[in-house]
Amino acid sequence: MAAILEVDRITKVFGGLHAVQDVSFEVGETEIVSMIGPNGAGKTTAFNCITGLYPLTSGDIRFRGQSIKGKPPHKITRLGITRTFQNIRLFSFMTAVDNVMVGEHCRMHAKVWDAVIRTPSERREEREVEKRALDILRRLGIERYADAYARNLPYGLQRRLEIARALASRPTLLLLDEPAAGLNQREKRELMEVIATLRKGGLTIFLIEHDMRVVMEISDRIVVLDHGEKIAEGAPQDVRKNPRVIEAYLGSGASEEMRSA
Amino acid sequence: MPEPVPSVDAPPGAEAPAAPANGKEESPGVFWMIVAVGLGLVIIGWFLPWYVEEISNGVGYSPMDAVLSFTGIGTVMIYVVAVAMIVLIAGLVDDILRRRKHLEPRFTRQRAMLALAGALATVAVAVLIGLLNEEPLFGTLDQYSFTDNAVWMTLTGFSLCAFGYAFKPWIVRHPGIAFTAVAFAVGAAFPLIFNQAGDFVGWGARFAAIYILLALGLNVVVGFAGLLDLGYAAFFAIGAYTTASLAGQRYGLHLPFWIIIFLGAGIASLFGAVLGAPTLRLRGDYLAIVTLGFGEIIPDLATNNVFGATGGPNGLAADPAKFGSFNLGQLGAVPANTKFYFWLLIILVALVVVALRNVERSRLGRAWVAIREDEVAAAATGINTVSTKLLAFSIGASVSGFAGAFFGAMLGTVTPDNFQFAVSVTVLSTVVLGGIGSIAGVTVGAVVIAFVINWIIPNAQQWMGTLGTTTGVTQLGNFNVSQYVYILYGLILIGIMLLRPAGLLPSRARKVELTTGGTEEALSEVEAS
Repeated sequence: MAAILEVDRITKVFGGLHAVQDVSFEVGETEIVSMIGPNGAGKTTAFNCITGLYPLTSGDIRFRGQSIKGKPPHKITRLGITRTFQNIRLFSFMTAVDNVMVGEHCRMHAKVWDAVIRTPSERREEREVEKRALDILRRLGIERYADAYARNLPYGLQRRLEIARALASRPTLLLLDEPAAGLNQREKRELMEVIATLRKGGLTIFLIEHDMRVVMEISDRIVVLDHGEKIAEGAPQDVRKNPRVIEAYLGSGASEEMRSA
Repeated sequence: MPEPVPSVDAPPGAEAPAAPANGKEESPGVFWMIVAVGLGLVIIGWFLPWYVEEISNGVGYSPMDAVLSFTGIGTVMIYVVAVAMIVLIAGLVDDILRRRKHLEPRFTRQRAMLALAGALATVAVAVLIGLLNEEPLFGTLDQYSFTDNAVWMTLTGFSLCAFGYAFKPWIVRHPGIAFTAVAFAVGAAFPLIFNQAGDFVGWGARFAAIYILLALGLNVVVGFAGLLDLGYAAFFAIGAYTTASLAGQRYGLHLPFWIIIFLGAGIASLFGAVLGAPTLRLRGDYLAIVTLGFGEIIPDLATNNVFGATGGPNGLAADPAKFGSFNLGQLGAVPANTKFYFWLLIILVALVVVALRNVERSRLGRAWVAIREDEVAAAATGINTVSTKLLAFSIGASVSGFAGAFFGAMLGTVTPDNFQFAVSVTVLSTVVLGGIGSIAGVTVGAVVIAFVINWIIPNAQQWMGTLGTTTGVTQLGNFNVSQYVYILYGLILIGIMLLRPAGLLPSRARKVELTTGGTEEALSEVEAS
């Protein structure tokens, strides 16, 4: 399986703190890879490095063989990597459909002058983009909320809307930062279905998740971080048995629970 | 692309979706506003001349006098208008009465047709007055009496009522467009209605229109993109000095006016980009300081006659606006075709409103709102935050330069005093007062502020004097109101913040945002960590 994302010995230092240190891993095409680790292990920092929000201290990140080190976030999004956020970051006072249309921004072509005089091509593009946005909302089952402000959506659907917004920029790699956080059992089940369908549609998914049931069920592979370093990588059943993971991530007392999960 | 996922209903206990924010909701409010304004104008128009007849030595005529005099071809028209007007008013009253009794309105369609016919007749009269501008039309039409004011007031008012009534269902469906159309119609009739109040039309109305342009431009920066700009007057100055340099004595250049205003816009937007490029990575408060500095530097440069280009404190002389041989004149100069300046400004305001409205609803407008709401998420969603903010900055600057170039031609002499910090503050107050982010709001705000500056403040001294004489407290007359202008601004702003924190006509999203608070975190902060 060809690697779509290669993270090559990346390090990110904040002042004296090594948030991510010398971490390398790969994500293959149409794979679902999870990153786990205790709080403060550097998972979100790694995400921010990949999406260009943080500049790397050292190391390199390649997407489809091309280095994306030092590229601004919008260029990385344009190349085909989009993400969601751990604490939902929707545009709260925009409608759901507008949120998704913002997601299409980097695939649109209208220039300022096109907008000022509303050229036919600009109108056509706006119509098409709105249609596509509604289409994405329909696929994710939140079409009926299209005209509601994002902040007025129920929590679980806000998570889903964030995925919709990310999908609108037509990514090939989707990064999900704790997509199941705060969801109830039924919503988690639905989320896993959504992720499975997305992968079936040819999307590669890389996610951070704390919920072990979700992680174990959907992941092809798991990367484990602790204190900024990668301590394990492999298939779910291997990672589950890895003693370093059990000790570092779950603490020694929780190993029983892990086996029964 | 992904396969369809099974549709899932909202979980039990989910909140109902909020009302759509796309402005497609039906609202009869605007209809009643239009009718009220129209009726008000009609009533004032018919009764004003009888009132002023005494003080104007009997030269005032009401349209009613014209009807009774049976002279001129206009009388026939007046009859048509009067009959339609009576039917219309009777119809409206009937409507209200039947609504009280919860009955359906009668003969709606017929009355609408009649109203439309009356409105068209009114417009025909207006056109005839404009074309002929002679006495037979109304028996006695005297430019120096109040009669023509009353006639215009009546015609405007009745047209409003009639068109409003005829198009009621459409207005209820499109309140925004209807409001804009009516605002421009009344605005355009303004110099005719207030022909006698020459000073107000001559300066106040044009000033208001310039302020509308400034407020519209600053609204792009502050309202749409959420960037605080405290030096906005600098771009205004750049526009005005562009006019004075390219069409004035200084360099002997006399480029045509309509080229100058676009050049002024272009040069100001260049300056906007130059200022914005290094500073837009800064967070809101720091950006405000930098723009504040810029706003101080530009008038100072002009005062110090940098490179001998600005003429120092005395300023530069600028050509008046000319279209071929038609000279619009300048402030205080004869002939100053003040009305035409005003109408030209109205047209420009309309163009700018349409352009900004289009941009607001485009890809760029969405990107601005996204950046305003959450810059980090906007960047991660694929928006180039730096160039998008830069665009807001230079589009805002270009509108200011546009207004400035016009202002220069209108003033005749461009001096640094016209562009001090006070101007930036006033325009910002205008935007806050009217409603940050709302095009209709800032327009209303600019009219209100212009009214305060040009009518209330100049007259306040006299009012205080009168108040002092009537109450016997003569000290009141010594109270110098113009010294306390900024206190007045402050009070207005505090009042607005307390009573309507989102402005007079708030934009929908802003209203919610201000009451519940948004997140503020600059992308540069995240990146710099």
